Amino acid sequence: MQKTLVIQRYNPEQDHKPHPQHFTVPCDDSTSVLDALLYIQQQLDPTLAFRWSCRMAICGSCGVMVNGIPKLGCKTFLRDYKDDITVEALAHFATEKDLISDMSVFLTHLQAVKPYLINHDTRPQPHQQTPKQLAKYAKFSNCINCGLCYSACPQFGLNPAFLGPAALTLAQRYNLDSRDQGKAQRMPQLNGKNGVWGCTFVGFCSDVCPKQLDPAAAVNQGKVASAADFVIGIFKP
Amino acid sequence: MTQPTRSDEPIWWALFSAGGVCFAVLIPGLILTLAIAYPLGLLPENALDYAQIRQWLFSDYWGLAGLVLVGAGLCLPLFHAMHRVHHGMHDLMLRAGGWGKVLCYGSASLLSVLALYFWYLGLSAS
Repeated sequence: MQKTLVIQRYNPEQDHKPHPQHFTVPCDDSTSVLDALLYIQQQLDPTLAFRWSCRMAICGSCGVMVNGIPKLGCKTFLRDYKDDITVEALAHFATEKDLISDMSVFLTHLQAVKPYLINHDTRPQPHQQTPKQLAKYAKFSNCINCGLCYSACPQFGLNPAFLGPAALTLAQRYNLDSRDQGKAQRMPQLNGKNGVWGCTFVGFCSDVCPKQLDPAAAVNQGKVASAADFVIGIFKP
Repeated sequence: MTQPTRSDEPIWWALFSAGGVCFAVLIPGLILTLAIAYPLGLLPENALDYAQIRQWLFSDYWGLAGLVLVGAGLCLPLFHAMHRVHHGMHDLMLRAGGWGKVLCYGSASLLSVLALYFWYLGLSAS
């Protein structure tokens, strides 16, 4: 069996703008988009540039647009597509080369919400947690930072200053963690117009999340938290 | 990183959420009663008599039913709808800025005040 991939090529040193290039690759039922890209790079055109690492939807490196939808290349299979398959770099990010996106905006937004445990207790014993306390945030803790939700989010597309689904989900994940004491440090970022209020609950982020994290739900929980913080702020100067 | 200023969005979002609940709960009930049950003859013939409705909305329980109807059937749904229009303008890249906000929430406020004024008129006339 053979399939044709139409890959958006772009080399900033030579090209004025991106252009499509057709490649025909052999495939069977187990061939992923990433397998096809590796075949092209190894057999047809060694100049094709793309990111990848684990091949098992853990590292979050191989995010690309497949027929206009953000997907992990390793988790998307050629068998699910009848016709030619279009592969482009992730939407809403600048393209460095071919399928490699510049993720630095995303990383800046991640840093802004302090997505790590903040706890001032320096005693050496472990911070214990009950299964119930774990269940409060566990569903939001599997983010692999692939950035697919940013390519899916029309609000991030309109306003790159919007902190975006993954960063806001991680903020909510740590705010819900019983071991964490950093909520007061995170809330000012969430309370701004580029925080949770930049979201209009389109929900496409949750559709494309390869780890089924439901970022849209996390961001909307963040809105409730921010609204509560707003009311508290009125009474507590 | 500088600290962003707090957004006033919680106010509009709270009104939008409350309006959404009213839209979802009250409006179908009103449609069921006024547009389906009554024309089908499932309600008594005189159920929607002017004098009867007037009594319910403006006299019984200090006109509380009228206030609830105006608040939950008009004011809050207005804020819900105009919140959608406001964010819809942003999605359509109409950069209306502060004026868009004034226009959307201002018109919702104006019509709400009007609706409450008419309720008050009915109340004082009863």
